[in-house]
Amino acid sequence: MAVGKPREIDRPGAHTWRARLGRAAIIAVATAFAACLLVVPLCAVFAQALAKGWEAYFEAFGSSDTHAAIRLTLITALIVVPLNTIFGIAAAYAIARFEFRGKSVLTTLIELPFAVSPVISGLVYVLLFGAQGWFGVWLQEHDISIVFALPGIILATLFVTFPYVARELIPLLQILGAEEEEAAISLGAGPWMTFFRVTLPKIRWGVIYGVILCNARAMGEFGAVSVVSGHIRGLTTTMPLHVEILYNEYDFVGAFAVASLLSLLALLTLVIKTAIELRSGYRR
Amino acid sequence: MSIQFERITKRYHNASVVNDLTLEIATGEFFVLLGPSGSGKSTLLRAVAGLTSIDEGRIHLHGRDVTHLPPRERGVGFVFQHYALFQNMTVADNIEFALRVRRMRAAERRRRRKELLKLVALEGYDDRLPSQLSGGQQQRVAVARALAHEPAVLLLDEPFGALDAKIRVELRRALREVQQRLGTTTILVTHDQEEAFALGDRIGVMHMGRLLETGRPEQLYRQPATRFVASFLGAANFVLGELTPDGLRIGAATLPHEGAEGASREGREVVAVIRPEELELAERKELLESEWIGDAVVREVSFSGATERVVVQLARDTGVRSAATDERQANERPVMEITRHAGERLGLRLAPGQNVSLGVRRAHVLPTPISSFVVAARSADSRTALLEAPLMQQLTRSMRARVTVLEGDFAANTEPPRVHHAGVVVVASGPGAIADVARLAAAGARRILCIPAAAGLPERVLVHCLSDAARSSTLGLLASVMRHLHVEATLVCLQARGASRAERAAAFRRMLDTRAALQAAHGLDVRTDVHIGELSGFTRELDTRGECALVVVGSDASPSELQNLLAEHFSVLFTADSRCPVLVAVEDRQRPAHTSHEQEPRTSVWSST
Repeated sequence: MAVGKPREIDRPGAHTWRARLGRAAIIAVATAFAACLLVVPLCAVFAQALAKGWEAYFEAFGSSDTHAAIRLTLITALIVVPLNTIFGIAAAYAIARFEFRGKSVLTTLIELPFAVSPVISGLVYVLLFGAQGWFGVWLQEHDISIVFALPGIILATLFVTFPYVARELIPLLQILGAEEEEAAISLGAGPWMTFFRVTLPKIRWGVIYGVILCNARAMGEFGAVSVVSGHIRGLTTTMPLHVEILYNEYDFVGAFAVASLLSLLALLTLVIKTAIELRSGYRR
Repeated sequence: MSIQFERITKRYHNASVVNDLTLEIATGEFFVLLGPSGSGKSTLLRAVAGLTSIDEGRIHLHGRDVTHLPPRERGVGFVFQHYALFQNMTVADNIEFALRVRRMRAAERRRRRKELLKLVALEGYDDRLPSQLSGGQQQRVAVARALAHEPAVLLLDEPFGALDAKIRVELRRALREVQQRLGTTTILVTHDQEEAFALGDRIGVMHMGRLLETGRPEQLYRQPATRFVASFLGAANFVLGELTPDGLRIGAATLPHEGAEGASREGREVVAVIRPEELELAERKELLESEWIGDAVVREVSFSGATERVVVQLARDTGVRSAATDERQANERPVMEITRHAGERLGLRLAPGQNVSLGVRRAHVLPTPISSFVVAARSADSRTALLEAPLMQQLTRSMRARVTVLEGDFAANTEPPRVHHAGVVVVASGPGAIADVARLAAAGARRILCIPAAAGLPERVLVHCLSDAARSSTLGLLASVMRHLHVEATLVCLQARGASRAERAAAFRRMLDTRAALQAAHGLDVRTDVHIGELSGFTRELDTRGECALVVVGSDASPSELQNLLAEHFSVLFTADSRCPVLVAVEDRQRPAHTSHEQEPRTSVWSST
């Protein structure tokens, strides 16, 4: 949502030393807190990764398992993010524009992945598609593997990242209202043209914002993926899982090197997000 | 006819927002739909564009039935209150949108865009974004965009609502010019009467989902048919006058009035509308150029540029009675509003507290059959119950009609109650009420409303005429009631079991005639339905269903005959636990004796609302 700059506090009495002191204290607390909790650990990641020099750092990326983990993470994100973007837009549009039975149920369902622990969402898929699961026998007979394979990882990631786009768009669509869409319809546009020419351009920054958050989570998801992946090295380990495996094997440089790559991706995401905010004036 | 609305009804959650609306708009006409918010005017406009579907009725554009067509096949242009320009497109893209949809070639599109921008005086603004334009400019672009595909009908939904006063006036002129140049049939929705006057060839006033009146601005202003229209189109003083063979009597003044010769000797109570500019003030009554009403005291003087607004309160015993329920009108000294132009102001300077003489130049008599309400009760409890009955509350609030209360037990006095030429006399319904009705009719009451204690707000209104002679006045009463209750109307034809073919045909014809008469005289449309059986059976059925329906009975019978007729056909509605209010309209019998009432065929027509 577009929120203006905070109004400069300039009421009488706002410039006494006490008021200034109070203001400085609040800013100091917030900054110090962020520094201790966010910046220091992040620096520690890079420090640890580079502890044995650049050579060791780049060597850590040489292993084929690491390559596989990076590839798997990117494939998962490439499949999950577009799917959730489409579902998210559809769900948000349905909730913001239509009246239908079960609308409140759908609204609640969208929030469900936020409420449920990721471990549980992973377990659900094991329960459904695992060897002892409901469809397990049938799947085995047909030689289809979902759990401990790519499809399971994608399903679990889809589940966890489902809310990001939809939740971003629902309030946006509601605030924008339907007047421009009605104008397009009254001018003779069909539903698809109205959506792509009028609605989508209006919400595009919201969509991109949702996509970025969705992507960040898809790459970084640990809990749900950990349950369904089976930790098969070089096959079903995504980057976060790979970090854990390396760490457990006391390969600190390797673990932190991959972790630093993940952090870099996250930072890149933040940079893109900030760039969008600067360009579009879109702000949450 | 360019646009035809045929009995349009639109409901939201079972409440009707547009109610049986019929209207025709001529080609090239600029029609303004005027009404307060929530009156259904925007819904009607959206229905023309196809942005809202309607539940019943038909819409024709240029003879083509478009009721079920999607918006793009209707060929209309729509201008929204908040412009609804596409924010992400330039002015040029906005205007060309409808042309792009229609796959027009780029060169052609460009030519048309230039034309339109010239038309709305925004040449050279092609590449601007809407956010770079002022509100007035944005609305001009919106108009150009709506006209791009050369629609036969232009629809504007409060287009100037979000603009400030000066730009509004400017845009109004521009819009009128564009409309006249192109000759596009236009409907504009607004709640601003000044805007309606400035723009409309014709104005239609809507209230509670109904089209109350249509007409040229001046005609509506000078000769409104309803209180609502009179007060919505500018300030108005409502007073009760008396129509006698000499003319219209208001206080000491008697004004000439058409149709006064036909009035009965005793006079008839009517509602007169006096516009503030039709009143005159002078130091003494000899100095008045118009008819003297009475003396008054100045209460308020306020200056508003070209005119001056004066509020005066009439002196005691002028005989002028207010027809409104306004709080400041509570006592017997009505308050009147006067506007004076600069010349008058120089002639006589006024200050609060000053004594003046009040004169009237012209007064308009509303054709409404309900001038005021008189509550006649037997006890204080019953009086409170009547005043607080939902039906009474709704009618008086919506009509803003005056309510007088008769003190004491009206039936206990040996002399008849003073209800002579009053408006509607309200009594409590119940077993004794039929006798009360006869007694009040004998005392001169012509409209008697019986409200049972259990009555809520009626869901329907049913009308029955006991004789043809009473039909037109009963329909007038029905029309007046319908305008102030949020209900739908159905005309039910009542046929005796085993009636002959000829009788049935006659009953049908009468039903259709009645519907046509209602439409012609009052502009109200109703649905039709047929019920087979006796009248008393119908009322019994109504009572058993326990629904709350207002029953309007018209008759020209004498009080004693009326008592018998009511007892014969309607007694179930006068039991202690009835839920149906009954409104009796008594007409003076004017015909010579030989066309006796008993020999006339009974009109078996019900109109249910």
